[in-house]
Amino acid sequence: MKKTHIPKLDDFLGGGIPEGSSVLFYADPGVECEAFGYQTLQSRLEEGDSGFIFTNVTEPSSIIYEFEKFGWDLEKKVDDKRVFFVDGSSYFIGAPVTGKYGIEDYSQIEDVVIKAINDVPDGLGVINNLSTLIDYLDDGETVRIINKWNQVANDNKTILIYIFTEWDYENALIEQIKDSMDCLVNLSTIEERVIIGQGFMVTGASWTTPSSNRVLFNIMRPGGVKIFIPKILVTGPFNAGKSSFVKKIAKNSVSVDRMALGQVPTTIAMDIGHMEYKGFNADVFGTPGQERFDLILDILSKEAVGAFIVVDSTAPETFARAKEMMKRCKAEAIPKVIVANKQDLPDSLSPEKIRKVMNIDQSIPIVPTSLHLNEGIEDAMDALLEILYR
Amino acid sequence: MIVRIASGISGFDELTSSEDNLALKLGGFPENSATLIYGPPEVGKSTFCYQFTYQGLTQDEPCLYLTTDHGIQDIYDTMKGIGLNLDDYLENEMLYVVDAVSSDMEVEESDIYQRSSVHNPTDMLVKVSRVARSISQKSPRLRGVVDSVTTILESNNEMLIVRVLKTYILRIKEAGGTVIITYIEGSADSRTETLIKSMVDNIIKLDGEKIIIEAMKGMGRKEDAYRTTDEGIVILHDEQ
Amino acid sequence: MSTVESGIPGLDELLQSEAGYDLGGIPQNTSTLVYGPPKVGKSIFSYQFANHGLNLEEPCLYITADEGMKQLQQNMIDFGWYLQNAMEKELLYVIDSISSLSGAPIETTNTYTPSKINDPTDLMVKVGIGTRFVFKKSNEFRSVFDSLTTPFAFNPEPMVIRFLKTYIRRLQEAGSTLVITYTEGVADENTEKILKSVVDNVIMLDGSYLTFRSSEGLMGTAEYQITNQGLVLGEGEIL
Repeated sequence: MKKTHIPKLDDFLGGGIPEGSSVLFYADPGVECEAFGYQTLQSRLEEGDSGFIFTNVTEPSSIIYEFEKFGWDLEKKVDDKRVFFVDGSSYFIGAPVTGKYGIEDYSQIEDVVIKAINDVPDGLGVINNLSTLIDYLDDGETVRIINKWNQVANDNKTILIYIFTEWDYENALIEQIKDSMDCLVNLSTIEERVIIGQGFMVTGASWTTPSSNRVLFNIMRPGGVKIFIPKILVTGPFNAGKSSFVKKIAKNSVSVDRMALGQVPTTIAMDIGHMEYKGFNADVFGTPGQERFDLILDILSKEAVGAFIVVDSTAPETFARAKEMMKRCKAEAIPKVIVANKQDLPDSLSPEKIRKVMNIDQSIPIVPTSLHLNEGIEDAMDALLEILYR
Repeated sequence: MIVRIASGISGFDELTSSEDNLALKLGGFPENSATLIYGPPEVGKSTFCYQFTYQGLTQDEPCLYLTTDHGIQDIYDTMKGIGLNLDDYLENEMLYVVDAVSSDMEVEESDIYQRSSVHNPTDMLVKVSRVARSISQKSPRLRGVVDSVTTILESNNEMLIVRVLKTYILRIKEAGGTVIITYIEGSADSRTETLIKSMVDNIIKLDGEKIIIEAMKGMGRKEDAYRTTDEGIVILHDEQ
Repeated sequence: MSTVESGIPGLDELLQSEAGYDLGGIPQNTSTLVYGPPKVGKSIFSYQFANHGLNLEEPCLYITADEGMKQLQQNMIDFGWYLQNAMEKELLYVIDSISSLSGAPIETTNTYTPSKINDPTDLMVKVGIGTRFVFKKSNEFRSVFDSLTTPFAFNPEPMVIRFLKTYIRRLQEAGSTLVITYTEGVADENTEKILKSVVDNVIMLDGSYLTFRSSEGLMGTAEYQITNQGLVLGEGEIL
C-alpha cells in the first residue's frame, strides 16, 4: 500500500493505494482538483518512489512554480532524476519542450505515456488533465488508451492518477472511464448560488469498501489539501428552540460563554457541539438570535457551510427578526434551512403559511418540526445535506 | 487621448492624424499597438516595414526585426537603395535581427543578429522573446516587425502559428513595443486570417494603388492613393 | 422584467422602445453574445458595459482572454475610463487568462488573478473564486468574457463550448448579467450555431450596424459609430 498523505483519504481507502492501481479524481468544474495529484506525487517522492507528470494544460516550468507555492521543491527532484515530465503542452503554444518526453502530435500520446510508465516501476504517474485529452482524441480512442495505460501500469506496479474535470460529456463515456479505474474519488462543489466550499468522497475502490464520508477541504498555499470541519450555525428569534435543536442534532453539546471582540466586547452564550450525520461531520454553533448574531457570523462565516434558522411557528411576530438573519446569511452565501418548530401546538402556522408570511423563496426549505415530540429533525438535516450535495 | 508614433512613411502621419491634430501632424501608429499590413504580393509591404523601422532608429527606438523572406544583406541593400543607411544603427546595436531565412549563412551570429528557421516557430519565439526582454531593459520603447507571417504559416500548422503570433504580440507589447506584421491576403485559411485580424489592433491594406486603413485605434476607416518611389512608399494626398 | 443599463448611448433607449422595459437596457440575469467580424468594437462594447456598471456601483467579474491586464487598462484609459478606483473599492475582479503566455510568473492580488488560456479547469476554479468575491458585494452584478476568440485558438472547439455552458450556468445562478464576445468566423459553422443557442440574447456588430435579438425574439437595429466615448448608436428601429 502506498500512502497519499492526503488527510483522511488514506483512512477512507483502507490505508492507501495498492501498487499498480489506477485512481480517477473526477471533479465538478470549479474544484481545485490538480492539487490531489500533485500532493500524492509529492508524498510518494518523499518516501523514495519515482514518478512523472503528464501535462497538457501548462508547461513544466509553471508546474514547478505551482509546487513551489505549495511549499514543495519539485525542481530538485527533477534534477535528481526522481521525477520527470511528459510535456504535452509546450509544443502546442510554441514554447520550448522541456520534459524528458515531449509530445508534438496527439497520435504520440499513447506510446509516450507507456514509455513513461515503464520508466517508473513501483512509482507513480499523474495525468493532468484527462478531460483536455478527450476532445483531441475521440471518445472511443480515449477509453481504449486509458485501458491500455492502466494495463501497462498494473503489470509494472505503477500507480496512475488521473485528474478529470467532469464537463458535460456523454454519460456513457463517463461510465466507461469510471469502469476502467480501480478507484474513484469524487471532488464536488458546495454551492449556494456561488461555490462556497469543496468536498471529496471515495466513491469506489476495488480493494476495499470505502468509507462513505464526504469531507470538506481547502487548498492551502503553502500546504496543499487541508481538510476542515465545517461549521453549522443554528440561530433564530428568542424562545424558538435553538438550544433544544442543537442538543438534538449534536448530542454532547455544551453551553459556553464566549467573548466576542467587536467595537464593544460582548459576552455571547453559545451552544457548541459536534454533529455526525450520514457521513457528514460538522461543528455546530447555536447562537442567540439577538443583534449579536452579526458578530458571530463575522467570526464564523469563513468556515460556515450552512445555517438552521429555527422559528417558533406559533409566533409570527418574531418572523421579521428571522428574516433579517436570513439576509445576513444570504450576503455571505451560506445555505440555510428554516426549522418551523412547535408544529405540535394547535395555533402553529403551516410551513406554506410561514413561507407566505415571511415571503421566502421556494429554494429555501421550510421543514416542519416538533422538537418536543422529536419530529422532523432528521428531515431538517436531510434538507441541508441536499442543498450542500446537490 | 491616444499617443501616436511617427510612421516613417511619407504622408501616413497626415492621413492618420485627427482633424484637431492635423496642424501638428500628430499622426502615425498608436503607440504600443499591433498592426497588420496585408494585401497581394509585391505591393510594398516590406518597404513599408523598412521605413517604419528606420523612422524608429532615427528617434532612438531600438527595433526587433524578424525576417523570413529577405536575408540581412538583402534588407541592408534594399534599404540603402531607398536612402536608408543602416550602418550607424548596426554599429550602435539599435537594430536587432532574427533571421529566419534559412539560406543566409554568411553573417556571424551576435547579440544583434541571430539565426532561426521558419520551420521552427518555437525557436523563433524563444529568440525574439529573449531579445525583446533585453531591449526592454535599456529602452522603454521599441518597434517590432514580422515580415512576413505568410512564410511562417506556409511552413507550419496554421493554428500553432496563430498561437505563437498571439504570444509574440503579447510579449512585444509587454516590453513597450509597437508591432507591425505583414501578411499576403488569402495565403492562409479564412479562419486563420480572421484570427490574425482579431489579434491585432489596427489593420492596413495595401492593394498596389491604394492604402486602406480598415481599422485603427481612435479613428475610422480611411484610404488614400500611394506610390512606391525611389524614396520608398509615398502617400498622395490628392484624392482626399 | 428588470434590466441593466448597457452604458452604450442609444442602445438602452432602443431596447426600451422595442420591448417596453421599465428602465431600458439588457434584461437582467441573462447572457448576451456580442459577435461580429474583427475590429468592429466588440471589446469596446465590453469596456463600456463594465465601466458603466462600475460607475453605478454594480460589481463586475471581468475575464480578459485577448489582452493582458495592463493592456486592458490602457485600452480603457484611451476612452478615459479608469479601473483603479473600482479595484480599490473591490467592485471589480479580473481574471487574466492570457498574460501567463508572457512567460513570467504573475502574482495574485485580492482583485486580480491570472489563469491559463489552455487550461479550462483552472479558469473555472478562478471563475468560482471571482464569482463569490463579487457576489458578496451584490448579487446583482455584471460579468464580461472578452473574448472567446483566443480560447478557440488554444483549445478544441468542443472544449470551449463545454466551458462556456458551465460558465453561463454558474454565473446565471449567481444572479449575474453576462456579456460574452466572439469574433465571427474563427470557429466552424456548427460551433457558431451552438454558441448562439447557449446564450439568451445576441448582439451583432458589423462595423456599421448593431442588431439586437433577445431570447423572446425581439429584434432591433441601429447604426453605430465608434467615438472617443465608445460606441454610440444613432436612431434605431424595431424589426
